[in-house]
Amino acid sequence: MLPFAIQIVVGGPIAEQVIYAVKRAVVSGNLRAGDPFPSVRQLSRELRINPNTAHRVMAALVEQGVLISTPTVGTVVSGIAPGSRQERSALLGHEMERFVVEAKRIGIPLEHMQQALVKHWRELGKE
Amino acid sequence: MNIIETENLTRRFGRVAALEGVNLTVPEGSIFALLGPNGAGKTTLLETLLNVLKPSMGIARVLGCDSRSLGPEQLNQIGYVSENLKVDDQLKVGALLAFVRKLYPTWDHALEKKLTDTFDLPLDRRFRHLSRGMRIRVLFVAALAFRPKVLVLDEPFSGLDPLMRDDLVTTVLDLAAEDKRTILLASHDVEEVERISDRVAFMEAGHVTVADSIEALCARHLNVVVRVSAGVAPTIAKRDSWLGFRAEGDVISFVSTQARSTSEAGWESAFGPEAAITTAPLSLKEIYLAHARASLKRKD
Repeated sequence: MLPFAIQIVVGGPIAEQVIYAVKRAVVSGNLRAGDPFPSVRQLSRELRINPNTAHRVMAALVEQGVLISTPTVGTVVSGIAPGSRQERSALLGHEMERFVVEAKRIGIPLEHMQQALVKHWRELGKE
Repeated sequence: MNIIETENLTRRFGRVAALEGVNLTVPEGSIFALLGPNGAGKTTLLETLLNVLKPSMGIARVLGCDSRSLGPEQLNQIGYVSENLKVDDQLKVGALLAFVRKLYPTWDHALEKKLTDTFDLPLDRRFRHLSRGMRIRVLFVAALAFRPKVLVLDEPFSGLDPLMRDDLVTTVLDLAAEDKRTILLASHDVEEVERISDRVAFMEAGHVTVADSIEALCARHLNVVVRVSAGVAPTIAKRDSWLGFRAEGDVISFVSTQARSTSEAGWESAFGPEAAITTAPLSLKEIYLAHARASLKRKD
């Protein structure tokens, strides 16, 4: 069993979907610092994805500081690493834009967007 | 290292070329999907690689060996699952496996037992009395139990129920995750193989039209829609790297196949300073469809 929930949408970039699902699990507390993380093989088997894709997912998560790979213990969760400047600007640029476009399109006022943001922020973390 | 390489591989049946000028490389450790409609030449390609058919021209090398001289040394490392396999279908499943077992020095009895149990094989029934799904499962056990270095699968999942399909996929992925085993599979269903493959080749009428990693394909294809200034649309020169080019009024749309390559740098400026350009990534299925439509058009 995998320690995070995911529904892979075929057609989208699979590696990115898995990376996102893991980060979401970390942020929401499903995965905590020090928790063991599945091996490439388990990931491939459980998600029915190509082992090379699973390998890419692991490498990206280690590189982004979400996971730590140690020769003795294997791969463990490192907790929430502060995002790199690139990551932050990607989120603020691209992801935010999607919300804003959708919100404006269907006429949600800014105030409601702020409330929704605060609500989700609180649901996912203790801050 | 490449497990499979072909150069200008051509196979004719009479006057009809079922394969024509196919150049393909399958790197070690990949799960490589051949995608194409029925009749595109996928089975002919697989059978030529495995020396079931001889090439009319060109060459295929499998495990470094010319396909025409494949011998026990290579064949003992290649598992093959296909409905076209000739099987003595009077044999009972148990007897069939006992026969195959003796052919392979690397046969893994524990794995055979495990797969036989997982797939719930009826060992005392004759092969010819089995359902299609059950036959495929027997062939899978026979092809996997010797832990082949290369696994060749011809439409392995088509027509199977979802549960059985899922069991087979897990089993195949388990093998793939072992050190550097290579899987080549043919399918007409993009979504079926998208998740498990890392490389694909599109086949159309005996030709390989596109061959690349899925990652690279998704990175270089973009769906492009441009709103140009009035009257500009007819002046836009279509490029060869644009598929499905259409202009309706002031709106132009196409699939760019080289969106991020340097040769295409600055393509946006072709539409004039007033153009509003929106782009979106494409799924593998959409990329496949764009190429399939384009090759249909070329035939017309």
